[in-house]
Amino acid sequence: MAEAASLGTPKEEFLASVRQALGRAAVPPQPPYPALAEGLDVLESQTAAMRQRNAAQARELLHELAATAQLRGWQVYRAARADDAVEHVVAVAKSLGVRRAVRSDHDVFNALPVHAALQKLGLTVTPVVRDQQNSREALRQEIAQAELGMTGADYAVAETGSVVVLPCRGLSRLVSLVPPVHLAVVRPQNVVATLDDVLLLRRLEYYKHGGDMGSYLNFITGPSRTADIEQTLVVGVHGPREVHLVLLDYDTSSPLVGEA
Amino acid sequence: MAEIKTKDFQAASRRSIQDPQLRRALQRVGAGFDGARRENIAEVTPQVWEAWREQARRIKVHTLEHLDYYLELLDQRVTQAGGQMHYAKDAAQANAIVAQLARSRGVRIATKSKSMVSEELGLNHVLEEAGVEVYETDLGEYIIQLAGETPSHLVAPALHKTKEQVAQLLSQKLGVPLTDDIETMAAVARNALREKFLQSDLGISGANFLVAETGTLVIFTNEGNGRLCTSAPRMHIGITGMEKVIPSLQDLAVFMRLLPRSATGQRLTSYVTLVTGPRRADDEDGPEEFHLVIVDNGRSRLLADPELREALYCIRCGACLNICPVYQKVGGHAYGWVYPGPIGAVITPVLVGLGQAKDLPFASSLCGACREACPIKINLPRMLLHLRHKLAESPNADEKSSSPAETAAAHGYAGLMGRPKLLAAARGLGRLAQMPFVRDGKIPHIPLPPLSGWTKTKDLPALPPRSFRDIWDQELSRLPDKQD
Repeated sequence: MAEAASLGTPKEEFLASVRQALGRAAVPPQPPYPALAEGLDVLESQTAAMRQRNAAQARELLHELAATAQLRGWQVYRAARADDAVEHVVAVAKSLGVRRAVRSDHDVFNALPVHAALQKLGLTVTPVVRDQQNSREALRQEIAQAELGMTGADYAVAETGSVVVLPCRGLSRLVSLVPPVHLAVVRPQNVVATLDDVLLLRRLEYYKHGGDMGSYLNFITGPSRTADIEQTLVVGVHGPREVHLVLLDYDTSSPLVGEA
Repeated sequence: MAEIKTKDFQAASRRSIQDPQLRRALQRVGAGFDGARRENIAEVTPQVWEAWREQARRIKVHTLEHLDYYLELLDQRVTQAGGQMHYAKDAAQANAIVAQLARSRGVRIATKSKSMVSEELGLNHVLEEAGVEVYETDLGEYIIQLAGETPSHLVAPALHKTKEQVAQLLSQKLGVPLTDDIETMAAVARNALREKFLQSDLGISGANFLVAETGTLVIFTNEGNGRLCTSAPRMHIGITGMEKVIPSLQDLAVFMRLLPRSATGQRLTSYVTLVTGPRRADDEDGPEEFHLVIVDNGRSRLLADPELREALYCIRCGACLNICPVYQKVGGHAYGWVYPGPIGAVITPVLVGLGQAKDLPFASSLCGACREACPIKINLPRMLLHLRHKLAESPNADEKSSSPAETAAAHGYAGLMGRPKLLAAARGLGRLAQMPFVRDGKIPHIPLPPLSGWTKTKDLPALPPRSFRDIWDQELSRLPDKQD
């Protein structure tokens, strides 16, 4: 188990040297930042205003997301119906010759029978959820072999064309990263306008849940890329070379950014 | 700490300028990075861009003024999330912390995502001595690790290498066939490193930002190696300078807008990853332990000097390198330490010692392009001048930048410029003295050392028959005021 002790210079000594450098060695630090003292009620009212703003421009946000995401390298598909979305996923898997796929346990897959459709096609589809049969290590091996990783999206950001995934139970960090192709299914209620919107929602969650925002949060914006050799762009270095965004255009049942 | 070769700046610059392959590589910096930056910034209005820069600067000014408070808050929140903070006052201590963590957990293989601070510390070397195999996983860093070199750019560490050199290196070190296809080279690195990721016991990352409010480490990457380093191994150690803290999660948005645009001309990097503590009990994967090492290593000297504190606002985007006429000619290695370009010329002398890096503050034409390009509006030319002043006035012989003769000449010049009558007399004398040397209004060569240095690589303009002051007195001051 981890040793609880801090190594190196003791905290108090280090902070004292910082205070010394700041020229107020004797003055203890004061809480200086009003935004950090904002109560839950302030964050809640900010969030309500944000939701209202986004709901008023819901259709525009979807268009903006589709356009920006495309520019950032996502292959965007706007599904008109559920069976349309499923057919598209099947077509992508077929065209890539995928035999093994993994998927996260996002609840978007409950309403979208992608899993069954791919299995019917003869693919092995593994939901990455630990249980008696599937240890962490076994799932990791499965992800390493998969040719397609499918996830939902906790948020999608119109400003940047980003998909945000929050790994937790049933949501591996590796499904959207290790397979060479990542496919993200986005519901309109998860679309927000700006980066500020996502960060505000996370702050709200943080304070609502007694100061835990989960171990991980990823903004994914297009495929893995590098330009480290002669500034020439290459996609698919350590992450996926191909990324698909399936936008469930038809799904307007919930308000924009439903309760996260 | 990384080897310091800053005293060699002049000789190294000469070598760089004569290296045709390096010149070719450096030409891409201006056209590539800086071109992309300008294009991307043009997508928003100048007013918006300016407002973002102001906001980001305000956040940095505020955070550093209250750095003790925010480090304390960060510590509290990292601990609350199940992580552990460590503090290192210098490079030796930082390296010892990481080595001890590695040893006590039986680490055999470590994978690293790009971290300039770890380059500064010379961490890889120390870990290797402790028996750990260390793999850099950013493609550029991997290339220079294979070559046994150091980064030459903050964002693109292997910028100085041509694809032919990379192909040769991969072939020599990994036994793969030579290729001229860059995509194939990237695939070679991917395959070699994929295996290491799955075997690795320790992932090491830097941090672009640390969010005090939530105890979160933020990294911006394009390749995905940063995500792998922070997800696959059983332990994650983040290591970074103490100036990287920002107060609130909300403050991150503006930096997400500024950093990728300024660094690579992207609206956003492929990945922005926020790590808060180790994996929770329910998580499917992620490290079991999270450690955060906060490094001073000379930064408190920048913090303590009001003239230099703003150097700590730097977010390491590299925009000042890409636009600097000096960097574009001499490249990163000539600067002799980890941080090149205008920002390197400011922070290196303070971090390694003024006497070690006397030439760096002079490696600038003070054209001000760096300040204009900087997303945090850091006044680099002002700080370069401040350091020149310190060097010129230093009572310490190791630091003194000028010879007694130069100092006397400078004082003489200052005295002359402050006395108009004396200056006019000197100009008259000068016009007479220059006569034997003037050719077509220029002085191509002064035969008298040390003054001959002036004309070694350029012509000196001759003093004109009439000075501006003469023209002003005789004609311009008598013109009637223009009416609008």
